[in-house]
Amino acid sequence: MDLTIWILLISFIILLLINTPIAIAIAISTILTMLFSMDSIAALTTVAQRIATGLDSFALLAIPFFILSGYLMGQGGIARRLINFAMVLVGRFSGGLAFVNVIACALFGSISGSAVAATSAIGGFMIPAMNKEGYDKNFNTAVTVTASTTGMLIPPSNILIIYSLASGGVSIAALFMAGYLPGMLVALGLLVMCAFYAKRNNLPKGLKYSFSEGVHHLVAAIPSLFLIIVVIGGIIGGFFTPTEAGAIAVLYALLLSVGVYREISFADLPTILLKSVQTTAIVMLLIGASAAMSWMLSFEFIPQQFTQFILTLSENPLIILLLINIMLLVVGTFMDMTPAVLIFTPILMPVMAEMGVSPVHFGIMMILNLSIGLCTPPVGSVLFVGCSIGKTSIGQVTKPLLPLYAAMFICLLLVTFVPQISEWLPRVVGLIE
Amino acid sequence: MAYCKIVGALDNALQKLLIVLMALLLLDVTWQVLTRFLLTNPSSFTEELARFLLIWIGLLGSAHAYRHKMHLGVDIVVKSLSPKVSGFIAKIVQLITIAFSASVLVYGGTKLLLLAVYLEQKSPAMQLNMGIVYFALPLSGILLVLFAIEHMLTDTRFENNEIPVLDEEKL
Repeated sequence: MDLTIWILLISFIILLLINTPIAIAIAISTILTMLFSMDSIAALTTVAQRIATGLDSFALLAIPFFILSGYLMGQGGIARRLINFAMVLVGRFSGGLAFVNVIACALFGSISGSAVAATSAIGGFMIPAMNKEGYDKNFNTAVTVTASTTGMLIPPSNILIIYSLASGGVSIAALFMAGYLPGMLVALGLLVMCAFYAKRNNLPKGLKYSFSEGVHHLVAAIPSLFLIIVVIGGIIGGFFTPTEAGAIAVLYALLLSVGVYREISFADLPTILLKSVQTTAIVMLLIGASAAMSWMLSFEFIPQQFTQFILTLSENPLIILLLINIMLLVVGTFMDMTPAVLIFTPILMPVMAEMGVSPVHFGIMMILNLSIGLCTPPVGSVLFVGCSIGKTSIGQVTKPLLPLYAAMFICLLLVTFVPQISEWLPRVVGLIE
Repeated sequence: MAYCKIVGALDNALQKLLIVLMALLLLDVTWQVLTRFLLTNPSSFTEELARFLLIWIGLLGSAHAYRHKMHLGVDIVVKSLSPKVSGFIAKIVQLITIAFSASVLVYGGTKLLLLAVYLEQKSPAMQLNMGIVYFALPLSGILLVLFAIEHMLTDTRFENNEIPVLDEEKL
């Protein structure tokens, strides 16, 4: 490998280790690498321009909207109605509240785009409720943290939009459809583990609702669930772009939470808007800096060099896929999902193309893989939020997390080696060949 | 400290601006959907305006997020060091941030801005000079430098500060 690659790698790793904001670390190591082939004025102007043009995309606008709608849904009573809905479905079994937690997280994921939003919205209600029923609080936190990552795969999903951008324009609609089955597979895996745990620990049965109560809760959840039809139906049917769907999701969530449920007042809105700006800006700076880096990578032919290097390791595509998965698991342990997707997508895409792995399949595999990292110590935003809600420490949550990781890992292997799990649904609706 | 007061006031103004920009963005795309479906006569400028608003929100919001220490980093190594060493490293990172902001955002961004003004580069739909769009780069850079200097002055206790909660009353 070239000297430029070493400059890039070493400067980037040092900057990361001293806790430089990742976006700035990306920009600076990009400039240092560029200085080898151009003068400093050209390098600085190019990076500034790539940052600005990297953000200049209509598809990216879906991200602030899904972030905003996530905050509105979390605070606006929508989360609780989804929980009640899940309670009617699975609450009556032994360990019912754990099942409710998993299903409510998946449902919340299917209307909102972020796992942290699901952790705080669903976990904020479910963890205390499970504690009260005598469930172990570390188990409760572990279930919430892992279950909320299903929202990364189940559309709408901000990270799939970011992947679409980083991969150079894979259809967002196709990625959204591809995420459904793997997301549900992970939820199913977690449910199975919860069932084992419930049986061994003799967890209490949850509430059994009378028929009329059940119907009442089901009906109450319909306006919230209607959002799935509007957003996903609209995107898949080609009625509107993901960005327009995001704006509609915000308006609909506003209408429900401010107008109908009256759990958010107009006075709360500036704070919610500011929170969304903060979350958006963090992602946007990363995207801008990564746009500069991916320009530099292709300018220096680095992905091609990396591909050649990887292909010398083994002839067997199964082994290469396994190696890449192990590498991503390590990366995901130390790095948040958004920067990891932005950095590794352009580098790994050519390897995948060489092995005949479709971009849709690769995207789903990578995001499921990094989801595991999102809830592994020592670094993981979802894990931190979960622990602070569950009032426990990362060390204590680790033990109940282990069987749940095992479930996620088995799902990862299935999704990696059975491309149909990701590709079947988008193919059926005609979004991919 | 007078400096911190001034920077604090600046950040408060920035917060208000960001809230307005975000509300504007939502209204703008809503308007686009409405004109496309109800009037079947899509408005031509909304998409462009939305993209430019996102550039402004992303860049100015980044400066605001930096002040509140929200940007993602890998803090596992720093956390395991003694407070004195990690405090020293934090200062270095603040200097790196200043170097990045001054060179890329302020210098590179100004170059880009001047070039757009000189070439009279206009946006296709709104006929807006692209210099106005690029102005977000140096502006965000200047704010980042100011906020980084503030961190250097105030982080004297050599700690890994938690993210300060935003002053919600002041909104």
